[in-house]
Amino acid sequence: MTQTVTRRRSAEEMAGDAPAWRGRLTSNPAARSTFYVAAFLTWLLLAALFERIPGPASVVDRLIEEFRRGEVFGNFADTFYRFSIGVALSVVAGILIGVLIGLSPMARAFLESPVMVGLSIPAIMWAFLTVMWFGFGHMSPIVTTFLTAVPFVILNVAQGVQGVSRDLRDMSSSYGIPLTRRVRDLVLPAVSGYVLAGVRFAVIMGWNGVLLAEWFGGSGGAGYRARYWYDANQFAGFAAWVVLFVGVIIVLDQLVFEKASRRAFRWRDQTH
Amino acid sequence: MAVLTVKDLCKTFGAGTARSNRVLDHISFDVRGQTFVSIVGPSGCGKSTLLNIISGVEDHTSGHISVTGDSGSPARLGYVFQDPRLLPWRSVRKNMLYVQDSADEAAGTRVDRYLDMVGLSKHGDFFPGQLSGGMQQRVGIARAFAVEPDLLIMDEPFSHLDAITARGLRAQLQEIWSHSKKTVVFVTHDVVEAVELSDRIIVLQPGGKIFEDIEIDLPRPRRQSDPAVATLQAEVLARLENMKALTPTVASAV
Amino acid sequence: MSNPVIEAPPTAAAVTWQEGEVLARRASARHKRKRLALLVAGWAAMLGIWQVAAYYLPFGTLPNPLEVGAEMWDIVAGGALVSDLFASIAKTAVGFAVAGAIGAPVGYLMGRYNYWKAFFHDGVTVAGTIPALTYAVLSLIIFGLSDLGPVLAVALVSTPYVALNVAEGIRGVDQSLVKMSQAFGRSPRQIRREVFVPTIVPYVFAAIRMSFAVAWKVEALTEVFGGTNGVGFQIRNEYQLFNITGVIAWMGLFIVFMLLVERLVLRKLEQRVLAWRPDERAVQ
Repeated sequence: MTQTVTRRRSAEEMAGDAPAWRGRLTSNPAARSTFYVAAFLTWLLLAALFERIPGPASVVDRLIEEFRRGEVFGNFADTFYRFSIGVALSVVAGILIGVLIGLSPMARAFLESPVMVGLSIPAIMWAFLTVMWFGFGHMSPIVTTFLTAVPFVILNVAQGVQGVSRDLRDMSSSYGIPLTRRVRDLVLPAVSGYVLAGVRFAVIMGWNGVLLAEWFGGSGGAGYRARYWYDANQFAGFAAWVVLFVGVIIVLDQLVFEKASRRAFRWRDQTH
Repeated sequence: MAVLTVKDLCKTFGAGTARSNRVLDHISFDVRGQTFVSIVGPSGCGKSTLLNIISGVEDHTSGHISVTGDSGSPARLGYVFQDPRLLPWRSVRKNMLYVQDSADEAAGTRVDRYLDMVGLSKHGDFFPGQLSGGMQQRVGIARAFAVEPDLLIMDEPFSHLDAITARGLRAQLQEIWSHSKKTVVFVTHDVVEAVELSDRIIVLQPGGKIFEDIEIDLPRPRRQSDPAVATLQAEVLARLENMKALTPTVASAV
Repeated sequence: MSNPVIEAPPTAAAVTWQEGEVLARRASARHKRKRLALLVAGWAAMLGIWQVAAYYLPFGTLPNPLEVGAEMWDIVAGGALVSDLFASIAKTAVGFAVAGAIGAPVGYLMGRYNYWKAFFHDGVTVAGTIPALTYAVLSLIIFGLSDLGPVLAVALVSTPYVALNVAEGIRGVDQSLVKMSQAFGRSPRQIRREVFVPTIVPYVFAAIRMSFAVAWKVEALTEVFGGTNGVGFQIRNEYQLFNITGVIAWMGLFIVFMLLVERLVLRKLEQRVLAWRPDERAVQ
């Protein structure tokens, strides 16, 4: 019989010998800054390797130039006007249809295929078609934004309403709680997070839709201006606009939705 | 021959800070081979911490602890947790094979033998999700015995089950144990359960000291209805009431 | 709807066990028929709205479903479908493979280590919000008129999805199972294979399904901008000829293909791999 002894080491025995500078280098802010430095260096490297990729300096030059010419605010005002109407419409319609699908299996069977088809139609198709239907103007980007965004809102809201688990619904109906209170206290808190996720998706998809419609529409806006530089083979100008409309969507996404969704999902995160 | 040796064991959370909290205070005891030892105490007495230190999940602050095994190095441990902790994507049998060190034929027959002992030989190909909570916990127990551990650690394995299921499982556990005679450290807050199952009960008190070390010398198999068991249960309970009187802070905790 | 919980009305009481079985089977068959009817009604409504819209919109701007169907048939019968569709599929698949090869390790690191989570978090979030248009044009600028453009665009747009889902999957790993495995002395390799991988499989499927829908759109978009073959290339050709029927027909073919892949391949595969999940079993 071979006997072995397994001894557990105490914390006193395990002398903590990790130096302090390592702790600072591996902290989260350090990791983030490292990433930004790495990303910037990658950009420099790519710009040096590929002639067609504009470097940071020329992009900043163009950016200043566009601001100086006063192209930025007017075009963004146009884009925002179209974008916000389209997204607002898609949120309203999406919530209505989504709740319907989430509550009734029959509505789900009926509407499932149209939503699936809607999800798989690319924004560019809507951009092409709406330009033909409505000509150049506000209408085409608005409708494109609406049609590209609405299936995503429906999908998320339906998922949220269904996610109000059977237990919750069983419990509340068996205790005879009236419908209005059931909706307010059970359904809304549980669903609001999903609605928010749907709206967020709508914003991201709709932003792409509005830019595409403007790209092909030829009636002003950020997308139109980006195309202008692209067609002129001035990639630094195009990149400057990319920086602008990516910047706008990130600011919108991070400042508004990130905070709101943290609030909406608070009930869920705290249980962990 | 002691399988588990604990000597002057201390554990302090947040040592050196203002909020330092000592949960185990110079604990010493030995567990001989082939005995069933229960560790009993109110919540917050350091039971779980002690268990985590034995199993190596947590470090201790000072003192000595060792597990002696005759199955090679390191000593082999078996566990039964409060919840079954089965892999939901593996069948019952594969769950038990997962913790075996070798996938040879001997392991397979061992697994089948213990599955049979807990009365689940027909359920080997079921997924855990298809079994009831009690059945899942039986798989958990069979899994732990099937690794043939030097020391088997059980952490309140019946606390999440309903009373009737728990009673059935206790009877089954006694039977398996008397067949295999593994060394068991069984943690529970239920004194009645401890008396029914153990050869010895170590009672911890809040603050992490051993309050009492009680030998239970009753013939097996023990039944709840047995008057000798009932008498002893009452006696141990009375002694614990005494502990409450001595340490007033626990009165609400028990 | 006063009580959405009760979906099926109670049927007549069964006398014997066998009778109950028969009744239950009949009820489920009735339910299935009703669902199928509604599914068909959904398609019919969609085509109906299209037909009405085609009637009222100015001539030539929206062909009716029948015209598009005939055009689709011509494309299929003419053999153009196979070569262009496969060109698009191949590009999407290669791009997606690249996304998996980069996104999965990044997601693993993000899910496993705090440092890498902080490192990649901003980049992945930003990459996920960048409009697809940007990726399409960027790929074109880099590679010009080449098959590599769509591949790069697909890779760029799918990588954040894969990374985020894998990271989420890793974080979703049940720590009590990891502790159990460690307690029983399982090796890190065994824990990876038996605990981590099975946990992230559903998340990977979600990532594939989600980015599959997004990826092909970007692929087509890039081909519209500057492809040399593929569905997007054909759509642009038809658009330049002002042949809207052709544009919609090509898109319709791609949607049919997408739905087939989603229903017949991805969903079936998912059901098989996730057979252990109680709710997945109920679906079958």
